[in-house]
Amino acid sequence: MAKDRSTSQDFTGPLRRLLLAVMILVLGGIFLIWRIDSPRVERFRAAVTDSIVPNFDWAMAPVNGTVQLIRNAQSYRALAEQNEELRRELRRMRAWKEAAVQLRQENARLLDLNNVRLDPRLTHVTGVVLADSGSPFRQSVLINVGAKDGVVDGWATMDGIGVVGRVSGVAANTSRVILLTDASSRIPGVVQPSGQRVIIAGDNTAAPPVDFLENRDLVRPGDQVFSSGDGGVFPAGLLIGTVAEDPGGRLRIRLAADYERLEFLRVLRHYGIEDVPDTAQVIAPSAPLAGLEPRDE
Amino acid sequence: MNDASSSRLWAMRGGFVLLVMVILFFHLLPQQMVPRAWAGPEWVTLFAFAWAVRRPELVPVLLLGGLLLLADLLLGRPPGLWALLALLAAERLKARAQTLRDSTLAAEVLEVSLLIVGVSAAYQLVLVVMLVDDVSLSLSASQALTSVLAYPLVVLITHGVMRVRKSAPGDLETAP
Repeated sequence: MAKDRSTSQDFTGPLRRLLLAVMILVLGGIFLIWRIDSPRVERFRAAVTDSIVPNFDWAMAPVNGTVQLIRNAQSYRALAEQNEELRRELRRMRAWKEAAVQLRQENARLLDLNNVRLDPRLTHVTGVVLADSGSPFRQSVLINVGAKDGVVDGWATMDGIGVVGRVSGVAANTSRVILLTDASSRIPGVVQPSGQRVIIAGDNTAAPPVDFLENRDLVRPGDQVFSSGDGGVFPAGLLIGTVAEDPGGRLRIRLAADYERLEFLRVLRHYGIEDVPDTAQVIAPSAPLAGLEPRDE
Repeated sequence: MNDASSSRLWAMRGGFVLLVMVILFFHLLPQQMVPRAWAGPEWVTLFAFAWAVRRPELVPVLLLGGLLLLADLLLGRPPGLWALLALLAAERLKARAQTLRDSTLAAEVLEVSLLIVGVSAAYQLVLVVMLVDDVSLSLSASQALTSVLAYPLVVLITHGVMRVRKSAPGDLETAP
């Protein structure tokens, strides 16, 4: 019997070793190719995800719902105090709403006075969150709009209130959104009211730190941070969050978007900021330009 | 190897594929959008190890490599690297399955723990050497730790619920 087994192992051994060698070469090769030409492999990854994850959709909705239900049931215990707190908050919000309505009317009046034409291309498409990154090392979500809906790499996504992240990886039916909390996320922002330019650099924590701040004295906890539009990939003026100071004295950003429940994401269509091709004609005074004109022609 | 045992073999392999799919499904469920300070165990790898120790023939190289690569792709890891290291570790376990069959659970847990720590360390080392900015030492250390702690549970599920058990001496004649 023992002899039998050893001969059968001799028979399967070389084949197994060959298969293992092939597998090592394939896997190692994929990793090396990814390291050298990452966009191509990432496109492949997006295609694989696109073909697999939407198939899970029918099961994900009920399972997700059940898990949410259990989580909510745990929070029902705290319902009474929550209710009280919400009432208080509501009273405060009423005051704000009054202010907002007045501001909106004023804004409409001013826009009318200025005859402002809002950019008609700044529209959005809303997607449902299909899946999260599935790994604690990465912070991203998969949404169910993709190249078929005209989504382009680099577009900004928001929930109702604040910026959530940036589209990175578009497949036919799905696209991946890198959240602001991901370690690879870098978004240029501007702190108001001081106007300081910063980079919001995710580091895998719930509140991303502020980077490249020029003058710290001008920024106070509680200041609001908006996207600045520097670099041209991200539209300017979207609310990102408020500045807060962590116990170590480092400035971080409390994100405005509600990361606890990301269900629907709004992808903002953004076709880049148009370049002004000839700066001299815009900036320089007209007199010397007029003098140069004959030589130019 | 008759027809019945061969179809049973493929059914069990199909069971492993299904198991990996279920694990990936629960990983991808959109529940965790806020970053955590620690990482849970690497379930796919743990089950691969547990099955490789018990029934090496149920997790052949190509199947296991393909599934690990799929997990890499879906979970956003650098594709291929974790799969390669975990596959090598599983193959080592398969080669030692004969010895481990006769030893105690404690010996197996120790062996697997060493492999998990080794794979995690090698993974981080390669990422550092290749200058991939995906390195989070505390996260991967906590992942290795929780994986080691979770392995006995995985063995329990594999042995008790899925009935994938080490073949007893009597089974060898019928084993495919």
